[in-house]
Amino acid sequence: MNNEIGSDKNSAEIIHHHLTKRFLKVLMMNGEIFQLFIDIIRSTFSRPFYFNRLVEQIYHLGRGSLSITIVIGLTMGLVMTLNFGYGLAKFGGTLYVPAVVSLSLAREMAPLFTSLLVAGRVGSGIAAEIGAMNVTQQVDAIRALGTSPIRVLVVPRFWALVISLPLLSSLSFAVGIIGGLIVCKNEFDITTGFYLSKVFSTVKFHDYMSGLVKSAVFGGIITLIGCYRGLVTRDGTKGVGQSTTWVVVTSSIWILITDFFISKIFLMIWN
Amino acid sequence: MEILRLENIHKNFGVHHVHKGVSFALNKGESIGLLGGSGTGKSVLLRSIIGLERIDSGNILFHNERIDHLTEDQLKDFRIKISYSFQSGALFDSINVFENIAYPLREHTKLTEHEISIKIKDMLKLIDLEGKEHLMPSDLSGGMQKRVGMARAMILDPEIVLYDEPTAGLDPQNTLNVVSIMQQLKARGLSSIFVTHDIPSALSLCDRILILHQGKIIFNDSPLQFQFSSDPEVKKFFIS
Ligand SMILES: Nc1ncnc2c1ncn2[C@@H]1O[C@H](COP(=O)(O)OP(=O)(O)O)[C@@H](O)[C@H]1O
Ligand SMILES: [Mg+2]
Repeated sequence: MNNEIGSDKNSAEIIHHHLTKRFLKVLMMNGEIFQLFIDIIRSTFSRPFYFNRLVEQIYHLGRGSLSITIVIGLTMGLVMTLNFGYGLAKFGGTLYVPAVVSLSLAREMAPLFTSLLVAGRVGSGIAAEIGAMNVTQQVDAIRALGTSPIRVLVVPRFWALVISLPLLSSLSFAVGIIGGLIVCKNEFDITTGFYLSKVFSTVKFHDYMSGLVKSAVFGGIITLIGCYRGLVTRDGTKGVGQSTTWVVVTSSIWILITDFFISKIFLMIWN
Repeated sequence: MEILRLENIHKNFGVHHVHKGVSFALNKGESIGLLGGSGTGKSVLLRSIIGLERIDSGNILFHNERIDHLTEDQLKDFRIKISYSFQSGALFDSINVFENIAYPLREHTKLTEHEISIKIKDMLKLIDLEGKEHLMPSDLSGGMQKRVGMARAMILDPEIVLYDEPTAGLDPQNTLNVVSIMQQLKARGLSSIFVTHDIPSALSLCDRILILHQGKIIFNDSPLQFQFSSDPEVKKFFIS
């Protein structure tokens, strides 16, 4: 009897202990990610800054994501227009389709979906690349040779994606608008002139800005999380595999959470 | 003249107490052979010297100046003077042999492309890999990778080199090549710590032998004393 009560108390203690430990671990990790962010900013504004590596990464990360961006943009434009079109047609609101589609593409859909796809492609790529360098001691070699892995590996990737993700989102938006146009012309008899004039009169400067700022922030989140995980990867190839999965999931969650708050801030400022 | 001194180094990984008071000193031009069973913390010791690992207590002095509590940024200058030759080579696998060896030159000197290529040519001659500068690390054998790693560690003319098992896993011919490179560098006045299991190479190269056992240096004397030591722990090494 006594024993059982004793063990109950024990298991409660063990669970409590585990939860505390887990919580502390998550807290510590967030602290480390934040520290990495501070280091990135500090390294950006002091020498050496590797401009050629930045250009290389823009080319590598940005250009490599072009095809995926075009595909996602076109698909969003086609599918959204089709759905809104038939939905609004019931209420005789077909003429509002260009406005609704372009606004949601600019503010939400283009930056969010492009970033999520890039998180999958580029975030996992960064974690795999830096993770593999870490487990083969190349990151240590960078340090041992008197240079900084943050400056050499992280800073160029960070700014490369902060610069190229807004560009990719813009492309995705533009392609989405074309997709919308195709559907509007063929399904709803809306003319090109009317469609484009509606798009340009509806989507305001701050809507574009909202999309661009979001994309830049998401770009930062993806590289920050990808690089962090790459730099703490252990356990050889198995560790590299686990890291890539973790980065895709974690950065997607962070993107979704941040998206809500940035949207809210922009609505507060402009309304 | 003493250039590097380790005083009472302690290092833990969690509950695992790797170093329990390691002390020794390295003189200018001297080569120390550091022996010890695998997992005794030889690599951790070398890594600690250049700050890749943080020690828990003790002092590390380079020219009588403490370097064990410096920040990453401050360590930069010392990592140029004390270079670490990784056991695996740790070559950058996305760039070729030439660029690997040129990396420290591009980072820390203002040499022109022409001057860099001359230095690299000389270095390739030394490591017997002439004409291989455009190969990628993945195209090289393990022995070649180690030699390129040594070349990269050596290109800035450091004062001390820390060799981490440079001959491990090499066939006899490659072992001879590597030891001969080390001999040539020693003749130029380079000081070194040579971590190895390869007793014949250590005896042929080193002025002093150290044995790391259970977190402490249990032997620190000349190669001759090492060969004729009656200490059972030391004898174990010599027989194996
Ligand atoms: N980063 C680390 N985290 C935890 N334990 C480590 C770490 N690095 C080394 N160790 C442990 O320290 C001990 C010494 O390692 P090492 O110096 O690599 O041995 P060796 O003498 O074979 O070079 C080993 O038991 C190893 O498991
Ligand atoms: Mg080792």
